[in-house]
Amino acid sequence: MILFPAIDLKNGQCVRLEQGDMARATVFNLDPAAQARSFAAQGFEYLHVVDLDGAFAGKPVNAQAVEGMLKVVTMPVQLGGGIRDLRTVEAWLDKGITRVIIGTAAVRDPELVKSAARKFPGRIAVGLDARDGKVAVEGWAETSQVTALEIAQRFEDAGVAAIVFTDIARDGLLKGLNLDATIALAERISIPVIASGGLASIEDVKAMLTSRAKKLEGAIAGRALYDGRLDPAAALALIRNARAAA
Amino acid sequence: MTVAIIDYGSGNLHSAAKAFERATRVSPEPQKIAVTRDPEAVYRADRIVLPGVGAFADCRRGLDALDGMLEALTEAVRVKARPFLGICVGMQLMATRGKEHVTTDGLNWVEGDVEKITPRDENLKIPHMGWNTLEVLREHPVLERLDLGPKGRHAYFVHSYHLNAADEANVLARADYGGPVTAIVGKDTAIGTQFHPEKSQRFGLALISNFLKWKP
Repeated sequence: MILFPAIDLKNGQCVRLEQGDMARATVFNLDPAAQARSFAAQGFEYLHVVDLDGAFAGKPVNAQAVEGMLKVVTMPVQLGGGIRDLRTVEAWLDKGITRVIIGTAAVRDPELVKSAARKFPGRIAVGLDARDGKVAVEGWAETSQVTALEIAQRFEDAGVAAIVFTDIARDGLLKGLNLDATIALAERISIPVIASGGLASIEDVKAMLTSRAKKLEGAIAGRALYDGRLDPAAALALIRNARAAA
Repeated sequence: MTVAIIDYGSGNLHSAAKAFERATRVSPEPQKIAVTRDPEAVYRADRIVLPGVGAFADCRRGLDALDGMLEALTEAVRVKARPFLGICVGMQLMATRGKEHVTTDGLNWVEGDVEKITPRDENLKIPHMGWNTLEVLREHPVLERLDLGPKGRHAYFVHSYHLNAADEANVLARADYGGPVTAIVGKDTAIGTQFHPEKSQRFGLALISNFLKWKP
């Protein structure tokens, strides 16, 4: 299991939102590069970055902040938000992003994901954000009647590296991961799934390490890392021990 | 496979349905053509066609008058990623706004406004009615092997307005009528033609066949 620390960018700053609501943003660090460096120092191995303004604008907005982070960390970085064409995918991978996450465009333009995954095998992830199991797009402002599973199944043989599955209702509320829904999705597709939204404490990390969650590639930790509810050293030690035992 | 042609009281349905029936005869997969006013049928269809003749505002009203149709159409195309073909005003409805007499909201799938065409040559009449060649600006699966360009096949136009796209990248082909006229737009799984493929003979049928084969 990989525990991905999240850096969400709004106006060049590192923020956390509640339920994806841009009006409910808390600034946790004015300097995203410093935040990235601190996650690296704590021993995290894979960084999860979201360009929130980009998700709403449909194109990269916080490119400068992302590049600033890439300069100071050596660990792999996955990035989502506003990636809606092949040119943008290519530009980010060129700049040193390990894996790009395509969200809205994966819903509206599945061919983009398929051709990107053909061109950059292993480097394209799909971000599926759901409210009550139904997919939401456009920075989460709109919800549909289509299930996350239906969308995920489109990409079964496309060579997609991972699906980042976010439960919007829980995101930023520290009520725990929605593991049941995430595992249910993972069991019905072969693409690795990353759980996101609501990770609250070491209990979530423990749950991720149980056998029923072993189909999951990892989980994303946001607010709990920023407000101290989750001790990174303790979480990473648990994960290391589980790996050693496996 | 089902192709839903939306019947919202906007004319040219008969010729559109007939052209699709003809195109399916040469299609590798059997396709059922359904002319429908039922949102549920549109939501479940594998492909969707929105024809349209007349004024932008009237067509928009016609679409709004079918309870649940706008939601079903939006969801099918924008979330389920079903291939969509808009024809004439059906294509114009893909825009952000229509500016024919009054300003009316479109579906906003292709950013831009539907505006009056203004040919530089005063002898060119409006409406623009007739056959024109197309200049292809971007490749697209629906435009494969269609023999277009200045010496290529002709498309049949009848219109006074066209979709002035905010982003050139969404314009797949143009015609010239005393200045550039947007002939084909395409974004994500939606494509639209200002001209009438159902009246554009062999070229139109070939385009419809390509649309029926398109798997985005």
